[in-house]
Amino acid sequence: MFSYYLRLAWISIIRHWGLSLLMVSAIGLGIGTAMTTVTVNYLMSANPIPEKSQQLFYVQLDSWDVNDPFDDGLNPPDQLTFTDSSNLMRAKQAFRQNVQAQAFGVIEPEDPEMLPLIVNGRANSADFFSMFNVPFIYGSGWSSQSDESKELVVVLSKETNDKLFGGKDSVGKSIQLDGNMFRVVGVIDTWQPKPRFYDITTGAFNDSEDIFVPFHLIADEKISRSGNTNCWKPTGDGFKAFLASECIWTQFWVELKTPQDKEDYLQFLNAYVGEQKQFGRFQRPIDNRLSNVMQWLETQEVVADDAQMMMAMSFMFLIVCLLNTVGLLLAKFLGKAPEIGLRQALGASKITLFSQYIIESACIGILGGVLGLILAYLGLKGVEGLYGDYMQGLASLDTNMALLAVGLALVSTILAGLYPTWRACNIQPAQQLKSQ
Amino acid sequence: MLVMKNINKIFQTADIQTHALRDFCLQVNEGDFVSVTGPSGSGKTTFLNIAGLLETYSNGEFLLDGEDVGKLNDNGRSRMRNQKIGFIFQGFNLIPDLNLYDNVDVPLRYRGFNAKERKCRIEENLQRVGLASRMKHLPSQLSGGQQQRVAIARALATSPRFLLADEPTGNLDSEMAQGVLSLLEEINQQGTTIIMVTHDAQLAQRAKRTIQVKDGRVSELAIVAPQIHQAIA
Amino acid sequence: MLETGLILRALTRNKIGALLVALQIALTMAIMVNAIFMIQDRQQQMQRESGLDEANTFYLTNTVFAQDYNIQAHLQTDLHLIRNTPGVVDAIQINAVPLSGSGWSMALQHQSGEDKDAIGSAIYMVDEHGINSMGLALIAGTNFEQADVELRKDGQSTWPAKTIITKAFAENLYPDDWQSAIGKTVYISQTQPMQIIGVVKALQAPWNGWDGVERSMLVPFHREAKGSYYFIRTEAGRRDELMPIIEKALAESDKERIIRRVTTIEETRKRSYQQHNATNTILTTVVITLTLITGFGIVGLAIFSINRRTKQIGTRRALGATKGQIMRYFMMENFIITSFGNIIGCIGAVALNIWLVNSFSLSPISFELVAFGVVALFIVGQLAVLYPARKAAMIAPAIATRTV
Repeated sequence: MFSYYLRLAWISIIRHWGLSLLMVSAIGLGIGTAMTTVTVNYLMSANPIPEKSQQLFYVQLDSWDVNDPFDDGLNPPDQLTFTDSSNLMRAKQAFRQNVQAQAFGVIEPEDPEMLPLIVNGRANSADFFSMFNVPFIYGSGWSSQSDESKELVVVLSKETNDKLFGGKDSVGKSIQLDGNMFRVVGVIDTWQPKPRFYDITTGAFNDSEDIFVPFHLIADEKISRSGNTNCWKPTGDGFKAFLASECIWTQFWVELKTPQDKEDYLQFLNAYVGEQKQFGRFQRPIDNRLSNVMQWLETQEVVADDAQMMMAMSFMFLIVCLLNTVGLLLAKFLGKAPEIGLRQALGASKITLFSQYIIESACIGILGGVLGLILAYLGLKGVEGLYGDYMQGLASLDTNMALLAVGLALVSTILAGLYPTWRACNIQPAQQLKSQ
Repeated sequence: MLVMKNINKIFQTADIQTHALRDFCLQVNEGDFVSVTGPSGSGKTTFLNIAGLLETYSNGEFLLDGEDVGKLNDNGRSRMRNQKIGFIFQGFNLIPDLNLYDNVDVPLRYRGFNAKERKCRIEENLQRVGLASRMKHLPSQLSGGQQQRVAIARALATSPRFLLADEPTGNLDSEMAQGVLSLLEEINQQGTTIIMVTHDAQLAQRAKRTIQVKDGRVSELAIVAPQIHQAIA
Repeated sequence: MLETGLILRALTRNKIGALLVALQIALTMAIMVNAIFMIQDRQQQMQRESGLDEANTFYLTNTVFAQDYNIQAHLQTDLHLIRNTPGVVDAIQINAVPLSGSGWSMALQHQSGEDKDAIGSAIYMVDEHGINSMGLALIAGTNFEQADVELRKDGQSTWPAKTIITKAFAENLYPDDWQSAIGKTVYISQTQPMQIIGVVKALQAPWNGWDGVERSMLVPFHREAKGSYYFIRTEAGRRDELMPIIEKALAESDKERIIRRVTTIEETRKRSYQQHNATNTILTTVVITLTLITGFGIVGLAIFSINRRTKQIGTRRALGATKGQIMRYFMMENFIITSFGNIIGCIGAVALNIWLVNSFSLSPISFELVAFGVVALFIVGQLAVLYPARKAAMIAPAIATRTV
């Protein structure tokens, strides 16, 4: 019977093509709009490192001004001072730990024909690569010894390696960075976590860096730092004084394997802050936090307000489209009252009628879903074009989303079809069969 | 065999009660051709709707082929309509979206016949009413008489025991009406019981037996008792 | 009107159909009004003046990579070179660019001390050419003099003795009389005194989303830093012609640094408000599509209801109704449904707004906008029902006597 209902639905859709077109476009537009915004939200709130997001923790310590709390006292500062992150690094109380900051530099290629290259960099610890599961094409990250002995080593991104070495294995070769020779120890494969969780402070959806160098080279002034710096207390003169200041500009991540480890680490942090209080630092009440990846993305509100707002609006839009469909289906099915009466006279039970009209609704839903998918694809292309770099990589449909689109269309249309179908099934045959 | 005993049908609206059938009694035997006449509002259509299981009755007893219709639920009535009853209407009531083949196919689908059986029955019945060559046409491409023939083909496709016709020639000119009536007579001769509601006295005469309905009652039996006793015996 | 009662009674018999249309109108209204509100809000933000001579200014980055490089000497050479290029009005070294998204900020306070209230401001480090190069309007006080300009070492914590602030900032510091700011001493970095010597009409901070975007201050500094911006103003209409000329001249004059990102302020503004523009485009599309969907929905339902009532309409015509009366019937019917929808819609629009205000710190909607929404939907409804109503009016009276 199913194929028979499908055929009847098809005939009905084709014969009343104007009405069908109206319904399919309404559902298509509704689904298309909803899916566009859902996809953007979905990608913005995606887990960038699902295999480890529960074990990676961002460290926050409340080192701020006793008179004027950071973020109105809602959250402790979003970065650490150089002093604190260096101390935590030295303590080595976590399974893995990484201190980092954004950096930049100029690479002077060996080839005199090539122009110098300004690169975005990250200054980080050796554990960065193993903590964040960074994939390598050539070589690997540097060792902790390299960190301690402040070696001039560098890890290149695939693009940088392509530019400088034509994509060949460059491990062991040297590059001139800000006037110093750095030895290449590894080349990263394409790696663009979205959101770029490991540093939200400089843009959650920015691209990952061109080069990676040991963090302590910043203190040695072998690489220039960039990124956000936030101070509440005047600093002394010179770079040494800046490093010793209460300015926050470093980010600190730890990898902790079990909840117990996390508990222990938090204890350690509290003890550390207690200790620091004796030196007149940390005058605010203790508020140290360990946030795992998803918690951190949430407190930093990486999903843009605009995106959430538009998702809410687009769902309301979808509801309008569905109300539209309910109305049109109702009109259509009630317009078929004589046919329904006749089918009952010819032996159709309510269940068979119900199946027939629900299947017709579902067909319209699937058509609407397919149209919605096309529109969502176009919509995402449009969003990408409109927002530019900001939306790079945040506007692509995957299989999940495609299935969701058709599923959503199907379910919502069937829901929209329920009332009209129910009305259709309750048509009294006797009244319909007399010719008017 | 169709037996109605003291059937009452009361329509209840907000403030008016209409007694459409009052203690309606009727027996129609196998192979009969009964015409039902009566003035407008006499209850003919209500009778036909109840006989066709399209409507339920308020009280009384109605046996169709020995089965108590009052005990059937909606599904049961649907099944019985599909298996035992064929309908012909004044307005033909073909589904405008479907071609002739698909129109005749409708009750066969509900009956659950397989594809081969359905095809065979559709072709046979369209052949019987002389429209086999126009299977792929839409109802709107046919004349009234032709449409009614398709409706008859559809009614016969399930080989019903009873054929209920409601003013089958009401929308047809006299020539076409004659054709349709001849077809009905032929069908009756082949064994199908026919109950035909009409207000055309001439047409009614062509039936084997005529009853008249007035104020919701059978007021007169044109052909009387003996046959009934015979049938019961 | 006599017909209104008739229509109302007819509508109560088809409650669901009418309710569906009314609900659609209500939701459309709620979404439309709030979307337009958000569009307007963004447009207002975008229309705020940056204070710059936007049409005739551009900037570029100067990144030094050589070791042992005399930054101060090169800075003088560079500025001399740019300022003497024909067509250039003026040029400066600067630490940040308005609306570019990255910059510096400091806070000023009335009294010296760690625990005193301070108001944050963007900091632009410029010399005495700053006001002229950016095209700012000095509305009170005086400009810096050459002697005021100090050389700032990287990591230096002391500040110059003078500053020029924006009018908005002056109003924040001296709410009673912004003009009284001139000559006042304020404290930067908690304890360092600074005298306000001038007020400019406007100069926006680098961050357009910051609620203090109108608060900026100029300080007389040349920076001895490896990375800085040159900000250049040209004679009207000569910007695009001069951009490559200056880029080339700088690049060729000195190979130990990189000149990059030669960008106009107009481009910077565009990029700065790209998300605003994008969101507005999307919201506009949503509003238009939504209105179309609702409109076509009304058309579809009206045609159906008219088809179902063909015989009835024919009968009315046969009984003497004019075409105008038939049309009016359907227009009136739509008007009643739309009114109902609009009432729910007003409540919905305000409710949605309250939610938006609470969740996304938007400001409350204006009454005028709600009124606009009501009128707009009446028009949409009437336009949508026009075609079906005309179709209804065309039904021949003779249809009344036809049987099928």
